[in-house]
Amino acid sequence: MQFGIFSVGDVTTDPTTGRTPDDTERVRAMLTIAEHADAAGLDVFATGEHHNPPFVPSSPTTMLGYLAGRTKNIILSTATTLITTNDPVRLAEEYAMLQVVSGGRMDLMMGRGNTGPVYPWFGKDIRQGIPLAIENYALLRRLWEEDVVDWSGKFRTPLQGFTSTPRPLDGVPPFVWHGSIRSPEIAEQAAYYGDGFLHNAIFWPMQHTAQMVNFYRQRYEHHGHGRADQAIVGLGGQVFVRKSSQAAWDEFRPYFDVAPVYGHGPSMEDFTRETPLTVGSPQQVIDRYGAFWEQVGHYQRQMFLIDHAGLPLKTVLEQIDILAEDVVPVLRKEAEARRPADVPANPPSHADRVAAARAAGAVPAAAVAAADHWTGRTAEDDLDAADAATVR
Amino acid sequence: MTARSIVVVSGGLSQPSSTRMLADRLADATVSALAERGVEARVTVVELRDLAHEVVDMTLTGYARGGLAEAQEALAGADGVVAVTPVYTASYAGLFKSFVDVLDKDALRGTPVVLGATGGTARHSLVVEHALRPLFAYLGADVVPTGVFAATDDWAEAGTDDVRPLPDRIRRAGEQLAERVAAREPARRVGLYDAVPSFEDLLGA
Repeated sequence: MQFGIFSVGDVTTDPTTGRTPDDTERVRAMLTIAEHADAAGLDVFATGEHHNPPFVPSSPTTMLGYLAGRTKNIILSTATTLITTNDPVRLAEEYAMLQVVSGGRMDLMMGRGNTGPVYPWFGKDIRQGIPLAIENYALLRRLWEEDVVDWSGKFRTPLQGFTSTPRPLDGVPPFVWHGSIRSPEIAEQAAYYGDGFLHNAIFWPMQHTAQMVNFYRQRYEHHGHGRADQAIVGLGGQVFVRKSSQAAWDEFRPYFDVAPVYGHGPSMEDFTRETPLTVGSPQQVIDRYGAFWEQVGHYQRQMFLIDHAGLPLKTVLEQIDILAEDVVPVLRKEAEARRPADVPANPPSHADRVAAARAAGAVPAAAVAAADHWTGRTAEDDLDAADAATVR
Repeated sequence: MTARSIVVVSGGLSQPSSTRMLADRLADATVSALAERGVEARVTVVELRDLAHEVVDMTLTGYARGGLAEAQEALAGADGVVAVTPVYTASYAGLFKSFVDVLDKDALRGTPVVLGATGGTARHSLVVEHALRPLFAYLGADVVPTGVFAATDDWAEAGTDDVRPLPDRIRRAGEQLAERVAAREPARRVGLYDAVPSFEDLLGA
């Protein structure tokens, strides 16, 4: 089982000092956090994608590409990649590039985002959120799986004879998760393709998470990818850990009370009881997160949010150390001990997927021939060639 | 046949509350009128005062906790609804609107509803028509034509309106709600997972 951290990259004033980092400092802090998580032995680092302040991570593959060169073992991922407002052609290109650059040490999670105006800013209609997620992802898959794509749909200009480059590493596309908190259509989408489903219910009661995950599992089996308990599931979580429970509560409360999203709302007592937020000692985190499998079955990835609400970088790095030393090794061992032998321990790695594709005879025998029908001295020179290729 | 579910939403904040009193009488009138039609009904009362903190919390967190989750569940499965608010500053009470704000937007679609409001004087009578009715029209509720406004004076022994006194208006509103409830199939709670389109349908959409 994998344990990682994800960041939404919020720029938030530290309520205990009144200090606010600038965007540059926050971006660099995210990079430091990811490198530290790699060195400490956590399994995954994922960045959000946002296009409005107070969030800095607008360009995930730039950040993850840098981290691919700076880290050794950690899997680089997203939380989430906006499948609705990004051009699926650019996603196919950027994430295939990241896959090649990182040597397959990446995956990504599709989501619809949490900021309404992003839709109009990128020329889309928020009421079409689900249809956009469905159509764009269907095209993204084809661009990775097929060397030459002819395509037309509702939301994007048509493609004729288009090849997305670089082609996926070893001819096998990256593993994809789908994240949704309350849209069963997205769980259905994940199940249909046999992709992973990550329920990031950090602000929601566990009962809701269990219903959604269970729905995905049943649909995964229905669509013929394996038994329900073999589906690939991830959960979001949120923790603040110190050696003693009291120290954790005292230190985190001023951040909790004014935190974006849930601050000024329920008390920390209510919120820690009702949502996965756990504030306490390593043992308390182990007890809480070591029991979620009872509600959702054995799952493959647990992600933690630890760097939001204005927590200073030094504190975040300490959180990573405590997680990596005192929490994750125990949770990993417990998960492995109770896991049924025929349920996957982890989400499929690139090597797993290559092996599976080869076993199924699905990997292309040869590279794509680099024939270029398009490039002229200028773009306009190429009009004749383009006409010739598109007229049928 | 199983009993029909009448859910009463009372936005009164004082104890005792004339809003609750009007809500109870509208519910009683509805249950009696249903009984005359041979339809059994049970009444569930949602007192917004008890849910005030949960309503604000949901506004901030997006999820319903405790009694609010139960109240939302009851409304979504209601065969008929009695909704009554006090008039605060020329409109429905803020807590009443906040409760409606955190309802699922389809929770009351097609559900028969009778509207009521209470206030100090009859000068606020049209609040039912200019504030409450458009709100429930937006929700797609099936609102009966008679809305009942009760001013303080209406609770006097004879009332100030001797042409159409409050008990008559309550009885008429209850009749109209009962008629609509009795004419419908019993409500069936549709869960989040009951109507998910197949992926083939999603692809073709």
